[in-house]
Amino acid sequence: MIAMSTRHILLGLLATGPSHGYDLKRRHDERFPQARPLAYGQVYTTLQRLVRDGLAEVDGTDSDGGPERTVYRPTGEGTRELSRWAAEIAPPAPFVANEIFAKVVVAILSGGDPAGYLSAQRAAHMERMRELTALKAAPGTDLATVLSADYALNHLDADLRWMNTTAARLTTLTAEVDAP
Amino acid sequence: MSRPVPLLTARGLVKAHGSTPALRGASVELHAGEILAVTGPSGSGKSTLLHCLAGIVRPDEGSVTYDGRRLEELSEQRLSALRRTEFGVVFQFGQLVPELTVLDNVALPLLLAGTDRAGARTRAGAWLERFGVRGQDGMRPGELSGGQAQRVALARALVTSPRVVFADEPTGALDSLASEQVMTALVHTAREAGTAVLLITHDAQVAAYADREVRLRDGAAAALGVTA
Amino acid sequence: MRRLRSDLRLAWELTRGSGRGEWWRIALTAAGAALATGFALTAAVLASLRGTHRVPVAHGLLDQPGTRSGVVVGLLLLLVPVLGLLGQCARVGAVHRDRRLARLRLAGATPWQVRRIAALETGLACLPGSAVAVCCSVPLLLRWWERPSAPAWAGIALVALAVPLLGTAAGGLALRRVLADPLGRVRRAGPRGGRGPGLLFLAGLCLIGLVGVLTVSGASTTAGGRAGGGALLPVLGAAVAVGAGAVWLSGAVAAATGRLLAVRARSAATLIAAERLRDDPWAAARAHAAVLLVTVAGTGFLGIRQVLVDVVRARKDLDTSYYLAGLDLTGAAVAVAVAVTLSALAVGTAESVATRRRSLAAQVAAGVPRAVLGRALLLETALPLAPALLLAGLGGTGIGAWYALLAGRPVPWAIALVPVVAYAACLLAAAGSLPLLRRSVRPGELRYA
Repeated sequence: MIAMSTRHILLGLLATGPSHGYDLKRRHDERFPQARPLAYGQVYTTLQRLVRDGLAEVDGTDSDGGPERTVYRPTGEGTRELSRWAAEIAPPAPFVANEIFAKVVVAILSGGDPAGYLSAQRAAHMERMRELTALKAAPGTDLATVLSADYALNHLDADLRWMNTTAARLTTLTAEVDAP
Repeated sequence: MSRPVPLLTARGLVKAHGSTPALRGASVELHAGEILAVTGPSGSGKSTLLHCLAGIVRPDEGSVTYDGRRLEELSEQRLSALRRTEFGVVFQFGQLVPELTVLDNVALPLLLAGTDRAGARTRAGAWLERFGVRGQDGMRPGELSGGQAQRVALARALVTSPRVVFADEPTGALDSLASEQVMTALVHTAREAGTAVLLITHDAQVAAYADREVRLRDGAAAALGVTA
Repeated sequence: MRRLRSDLRLAWELTRGSGRGEWWRIALTAAGAALATGFALTAAVLASLRGTHRVPVAHGLLDQPGTRSGVVVGLLLLLVPVLGLLGQCARVGAVHRDRRLARLRLAGATPWQVRRIAALETGLACLPGSAVAVCCSVPLLLRWWERPSAPAWAGIALVALAVPLLGTAAGGLALRRVLADPLGRVRRAGPRGGRGPGLLFLAGLCLIGLVGVLTVSGASTTAGGRAGGGALLPVLGAAVAVGAGAVWLSGAVAAATGRLLAVRARSAATLIAAERLRDDPWAAARAHAAVLLVTVAGTGFLGIRQVLVDVVRARKDLDTSYYLAGLDLTGAAVAVAVAVTLSALAVGTAESVATRRRSLAAQVAAGVPRAVLGRALLLETALPLAPALLLAGLGGTGIGAWYALLAGRPVPWAIALVPVVAYAACLLAAAGSLPLLRRSVRPGELRYA
C-alpha cells in the first residue's frame, strides 16, 4: 500500500470544522476502519507541525467539563494545500518491495522449502481474506467498511495470484536462482 | 474427532473424459450447513468433481455418499429426483430455460415436484423478491444482465429448500460488483436456511466467502485452512 | 478467380473440419437435392413431349398429352414436400453455422466473402445430390427413348444446373441476418426463426402451382379434357389454396396454442412446450405445412380414387388396367410425399434437440427428468398439429366428398380417418428423436459454452 500522509488526512478532517486532537483521532479511526489506528502522540506532533508550517492555527480552547483541550482550524494556506494534495495522483507502486518474493528467493538460496512456505503463506492470506469477506458481507455493514475491506481484499488477491503463478513456476525459478 | 458425520462424502474419485484423466483419487467431505470452496487451476478437475458429487456423472472409481445413501447404487431416476429435491445447481450460465419467463423458470422445480402452477408461481415470486429481481419476473432470461440471470438461477436452485447447493463458477462471467451481489445473496440465504454449499471457483475473492477451502491439483484434493 | 478459389478452399476446409451435425446436413441436403432433381427431371422430359407418343411404361398412361400433363403436375406437386425437407435440412446445424460465419465476419472477412463461402457450402452440398440424380436418370431415359429430342436435353441440362444454383442462392440468402449483426449472432444462444423461411416456402409453392396450372390448361385445350381431366384444374386450385393457407395456419396455430397454453399449463412439460411454441411458432411451420398439404392431398386422393375405381369397375367398356395404373401412380406419388414429409418432421425435431444440447443437459443436471423433456418435445409437435390437421382433414374430405357428389357416387367417409393416421405418424416421427435426446443430455455438454 502507498504510505498515507497523516498531515493531509488531519487537514481533511479539520476541513469539516475546528476540533481538538482527541476528537480527530476518534474520527480518523471511524472513517478509516481497516487502517492502522492513529496514536494520540502522532496526532499531537502532526498538529504542531501543521501550525509551524502555517497550514493550521489554534482556534481556542475547549474544556467541555473535562480537561482543557486546544482546538485547531485550517488556515487559507492549509485549505489550498489540501485541495492540491487531494487532486494529486498517487504514484503507482514506485518501488517493488515484496517481502514474499524475498523469502522465496532466500529459501531457494539457503536450500529451504519455498513451496511449503508459499503454501503456508497462501493459507494465511486466504484466512485473512475470509475474515475480511465475513466483515464485509455481514448484514448492516456500512459502506466505508465495505470499501476499505474491498481495498485490502483486492491487494491480498493480487498477492495470492502472484503466489499461485510463482508456485507453478518454482522449478524454473530455482534453476535460475541457483545458476552461478 | 468429535466432528459430526459429513452430509456428503467422496472417497477416491477417479474419472476420465475419454483418455484425459480429470480426477485421480479425489476425496472431499461436506458438512451440513457448511460453505466449502473448491479451488484450483483450470483443468484441475473442479467441475468434474462437482458433477460426481451432485450425481450428475458417475465416477469411474470411488464412492459418493450423501446422507447415508451411496449415489452409485441409485438409479438414474432416483438420482434425478435427488437433484431435483435435495440439491440445487447453479452453473456459470445457461441453466435457465431460454423460452420460459423468469418467474416460470424459478417455479419449474416446484411444478416438477407437483405443486400447482399458481402456488409455484407465488413461491417463486417470493424468492425473486428476496434476490432483488422481482421486477424482472415477466422477462425471458435473454433479456437479463449477467448478474440478474445468476440471481434468478440462485432463486431457482434454492426454491425447493435443498440441503446442498452446488455452484460451478457462479460468478465466472460477472464483474466484481455483480459478483459481490450474487455471492452475498448466496451466502446469506445458505446461512439462514442451513443449506450446505459446494462452491467451485478459480477466484480467491469468491472462495473467501466460504468457511473452508479445498484445493485441487491435477485431479487430487488438498484441504486447506479451516476456520473454527 | 483466385479469390473464388480461396473462398472455395476455405468453404471446403470449414466443411471438412466441422462436426457430425454438419455432415448430417450435407447428406440430407444432398438427398433432398437428389429427390428434387429426380422429380424435376422426369417432369421436364415429359413436358418436352408434344402430341401422342408411345411411352413403354405405366400401361400407356404417358402416351396422351392430357394424362401426361397430369403426371407432370403430380411430379411438380411432389416438389412441395421435398422443398419442406430441404428447408428443414438447411436448419440442421444452422445455429453453429451461423456462429461460425459470424466469427469469420468478426475475424475480418467482408460480407460478400462470407456470403460467397456460405453459398458455396450449400451449393457444394446440393451438387453431389443433383449429379447422382442426373447420372441415374439419363441412362434410364436412354433405355426407353433412343433419341431424346433437343427440348428434352435442354430440360435435363436446365434442371441439373438449376438445383445446385438455387441451393447456392438460398444459402446466401439465409445469411442476411448474420451479415447484418454478426456480433449479435455470436453472442445470442439461438436463432429467432422469422417468417422469412415460411414465405420462401410459400413462394416456391405458388411457383409450382402456377407451372402446374399452365401445363394443365395448355394440355387440356389440345387434348380436350378426358376422363375427369377438366375437373383437375379446380381440384388443383383447391389443393394449392388449402396448402397456402396451411403454412400460415401452422404458424398461426402454433403461436395461438403457445399463447393459450403458456398461461394455463399445469405441468412442466406442457409449460415448456407452450412457451417454446410461443417463442418461435415459425420454427416448424414448413414441416408442418408440408404435413398439412400431404394430409389434404392424401385424404382427397383416397376419396377420388375410391369414386374412380367404382366408376371404372362399373363400366365394362373401359380399359381397367389403364385407369388403375394411373391411380396407382398417383398413390405412389402421395406415398413418397408422405415419406418425405415425415422425414422432414423427424429431421426438424432432431435438429431442435441437437441445437439445445447444452440447455437440455443443464436441465437434466438440475434434476428435470428426461421424461418431462421428452414429453415437452412430443407436445411441441402434437399441440399445434392437432387443430391444423383437423382443418386439413376437413379440407381433404371436402375434396373427396365434392368429387363423389360430382360423379353421383356415395361419399367414401372412411377417408376421414386419414388425418388421424397422419397425426399418429407425425407423433412417431417426432418420437424418433427421443433417443437423440437421451444421448444429447450428456453432462459433457455442461463443460462448453
